[in-house]
Amino acid sequence: MGRIMAMAALVLAVASCNTNNSNSELDLIPVNSVTVQEYTVSLFAEKEPETGFNMLYWQIEKDGDRIEPQQFSIRPMMDMGEMMHSTPYTEPQTAEEDDRYLKNMVVFIMPGGAMGSWSVPFEIRTQDDELITGELPVNVNSSWKLTSVRSESDKIYFITWYSPQNPVSGNNELAFMVHTRETMMSFPPVSDAELLVYPYMDMGGGSGHSTDFTNPVATGNGMYEGDINYSMSGVWTTSVELTVNGETLPEVVFEYSVQAK
Amino acid sequence: MTNRKVYNLVNMKNFLSLVIIILVTVSNVLGQQQIQIVDAESQSPIPGAHILDSTGEAISVTDKDGIFKIKTNHQQIIITAVGYENRSITLDSSVHLIALRPAVFHQTTELLVVGNEDRDNVRSYQNQKPLQSMDRFLENIDGISMTKRGAFGWEPVIRGQSDQRMNLVIDGMQVFKACVDKMDPITSYVEMNNLSRLKIDKSGAGVAENGTGNSTVNLITQKAGSERLTMDLSSGLRLPDNLRTIQMSGNVSDKRGRNGVRFSGSYKKADDFEAGNNQTVENTQYEKLNLNLNYRHTFASNHSVELNYITDKAYDVGYPALLMDATKALADIGQLKFNFAPNSQKFRFKSVMLYANAIRHTMDDYERDVANRTVMRGMYMPMYGTTTTFGTKLAGSATVQSHSFDWFLDGFTSEAYGDMLMQSLDSSIEDMMIYNLDEVRTNNVGIGFRHRFNLSDSILLKIEENLRYKSLNTLSGTHQSFFEGLYDRELSARQRILPSVSGNLLWMIDDRWSAGTSLVYSERMGNHMELFGHYIYNYTDGYFYDGNPWLKTERSINTDLNITRESGNQSFSLSLFYKQYFNYIDGIMSEDLSNNDFRFKRYANVGDAVLMGGEFRGIHSLSRSLRLENRFSYTYAQNQTLDEPLPLIPPLRGFSTLHFHSGTFRVMTDFEWAARQERIAQISSNEDATDAYAIVNVTVEKGWAGDSLETVLQVNNITNEFYHTHTSIGNIYEAGRSMMLSVRVKI
Repeated sequence: MGRIMAMAALVLAVASCNTNNSNSELDLIPVNSVTVQEYTVSLFAEKEPETGFNMLYWQIEKDGDRIEPQQFSIRPMMDMGEMMHSTPYTEPQTAEEDDRYLKNMVVFIMPGGAMGSWSVPFEIRTQDDELITGELPVNVNSSWKLTSVRSESDKIYFITWYSPQNPVSGNNELAFMVHTRETMMSFPPVSDAELLVYPYMDMGGGSGHSTDFTNPVATGNGMYEGDINYSMSGVWTTSVELTVNGETLPEVVFEYSVQAK
Repeated sequence: MTNRKVYNLVNMKNFLSLVIIILVTVSNVLGQQQIQIVDAESQSPIPGAHILDSTGEAISVTDKDGIFKIKTNHQQIIITAVGYENRSITLDSSVHLIALRPAVFHQTTELLVVGNEDRDNVRSYQNQKPLQSMDRFLENIDGISMTKRGAFGWEPVIRGQSDQRMNLVIDGMQVFKACVDKMDPITSYVEMNNLSRLKIDKSGAGVAENGTGNSTVNLITQKAGSERLTMDLSSGLRLPDNLRTIQMSGNVSDKRGRNGVRFSGSYKKADDFEAGNNQTVENTQYEKLNLNLNYRHTFASNHSVELNYITDKAYDVGYPALLMDATKALADIGQLKFNFAPNSQKFRFKSVMLYANAIRHTMDDYERDVANRTVMRGMYMPMYGTTTTFGTKLAGSATVQSHSFDWFLDGFTSEAYGDMLMQSLDSSIEDMMIYNLDEVRTNNVGIGFRHRFNLSDSILLKIEENLRYKSLNTLSGTHQSFFEGLYDRELSARQRILPSVSGNLLWMIDDRWSAGTSLVYSERMGNHMELFGHYIYNYTDGYFYDGNPWLKTERSINTDLNITRESGNQSFSLSLFYKQYFNYIDGIMSEDLSNNDFRFKRYANVGDAVLMGGEFRGIHSLSRSLRLENRFSYTYAQNQTLDEPLPLIPPLRGFSTLHFHSGTFRVMTDFEWAARQERIAQISSNEDATDAYAIVNVTVEKGWAGDSLETVLQVNNITNEFYHTHTSIGNIYEAGRSMMLSVRVKI
């Protein structure tokens, strides 16, 4: 009987897993979860959180059942001991691709580690108007997809490599996000800048060349979109020159690897 | 008449009869029979008559005495000759004389070069030997030049047109190069001991069969014969490059000649050669193995089936003009062909062929000094390429309302792949990789017709037309996205309907003079490299090329004029041509990406271009033992849009050969020369002028034991001239004085 029960539990578990993903095209990995007052808040992502652009997916459950709260809000925070700051992000909304999740964008502007740690404080307002608050620690790795530059007036601009997230040979959508810092808690998008990019392949021996590309242009909400057509795999650099309010800021460079396929 | 005289006469007749019987018997035993072709009215011999087999393929040409040799096995042959009606006859041992009736007929403007030796043939090229390279043999033909990259794998050029602007086929099969740098022209897959004949259509007028209207070279391989057992062995050594060669070929068949097998093999290995200044030209070594097997079965109904397989393996092939060397070049080429026996039905098949081939090409620069070169400095670049092709060809004839015509069906599908890995000497730099071609598929199907009209007793009109459907595509998503990004367009399979048509008029002025003219219109879709090639280095101009899937069709009109005089011991032929290209496909510079180290071009329809020129060939038999042959060719080629010459066009060049033979002793002296070429492309390419040169080669042959043993001493470039041809990529110098001694045994 014990064996039968164990088998049944296993089958149910497998069926349960299948049911959860059956209607979803998302391929998510669990990041962390926390239970506060019988409410379990789980964070998922498409990849391990890293500096730069991340899409976060949230699920809230009570007693093992997924619930839809009246409101769910977050504020990612970096605790550096002597100071705390937030980062560019959006509030979670129901994911169009899978309504079992709430999702939001966040640009982590520094990695977690010795300098400080990231957490995501949240508030859940239930359908019963109950307010649940909590905090979810998040480990953020370093990546090549974020850089920053300062203007002469010491205003900082965060330039985020939005796409391609996984560059491959051939044509790729090339997109950047630009944010600035107004306060330690406010990082609004910058939509009126001009970007001048230049991809380059250093082939060693002091020689190299560029590839076919279309310079990104502003499309709103701090997004700049173009195309890049990698002629080969290998390590590429893409320099970005940002011009804001007539001031051309120092060039920054993204260095990354392009896969063959 | 006394009884004794009568007795002697009878004995003499018996003796003569006996001699004739013995001769006939010996002839049959040896499998070779001499047959003379004569004029039915004058009984004078007809030189230069073509002997075709039942499928219409040429198998021999008559010499100045109208004689050809053939193995008689009751096979059906067709005889064609200038100014005579065709005649079809079934051979047996009693046939020694065939008469042709004078008529209006001129088979073709095509040049037929008999590959196997025929020393007495007034039209034959004399320098072909089993140990000679195919490259040298082709270069010796007027109107053909060779683009060279070293000692191996020269690329044939007809009247200044090569690669995508000419058809180069083996037994009619499409075989595509696997190397994106053109290191493996398919001529390297047929060795001289396996070449039956070359069918060269310089004007491209044979559109019904070639399908494109392009100049065509068809390398026709030797097929199994009905000889019970023959064997041909040869070996040679050349100095100072230590070229060592060994070749063998043979034929076996059953008693009735129904089943025959022919096999051939060759092995060559050479070290670096020395130029005329006695300096070694590095990276000119090569090693090569070639095997061929052909099986033929003839049914009682005279239908026959052939199975042919060629495998060619080349290793360690140096290319001094290029950045790298070929470490391995492999080819497997197979065909199955069914030949139908002649019949008189209104619609009939002549042959059906299925074929397949796979070419693989691996090269690298691990043995080169990559740290100090100017292009792609500081990295190794191993490259790999492959093509796989499957195809079919059908040929036949039909009669509709008393009009007879030939028809040809042709179809193939081919897939090409090529990549290049770049490994920096700086270990901190990640490897880079490029797909030069990725899953690029070419599909082609075409139908052609050939009509002949006798306009009068002395004028023949031949009309040919062909309609082809061709498509090119890449099945690789990343490769496709590259071109979509480059041209900012959605990419789908590129498809074209390509018509070509030719008219060929021949006027038999008298029994010696003939004149002909042809007009060819053709359309050409870019090939897989022009449409889907990526980052392909062109050694002639130093640019990296990207394809353009949206190229327009390149169109051309070619006109030829030929006048020929042939007599028993002399012949000359003068051909003039004019070819106009529209929407000429070439590279235009991508200035946005180019810098001092890397310069890029994209294929585009750049405008118009014109080629014109001609060839002259004169053969004079000064006596029975002395013959002089002169050949000259010239091509003028101009890019009319850029108003500059097209690149890689050979200058005025010529060959003069004096042949002397006395019994089994033969001496051939070749005088090869080229004028200075100052017409160079400096906008579309980076050419420089090339000086004139002249060299002398001497070959001495001696046959022993009735020519069953033959020794050959060949000394090339006797004066050790230090020179290079204009079509030598990178101005690589030619070999200086060399001496080769070879021995050949025929059983």
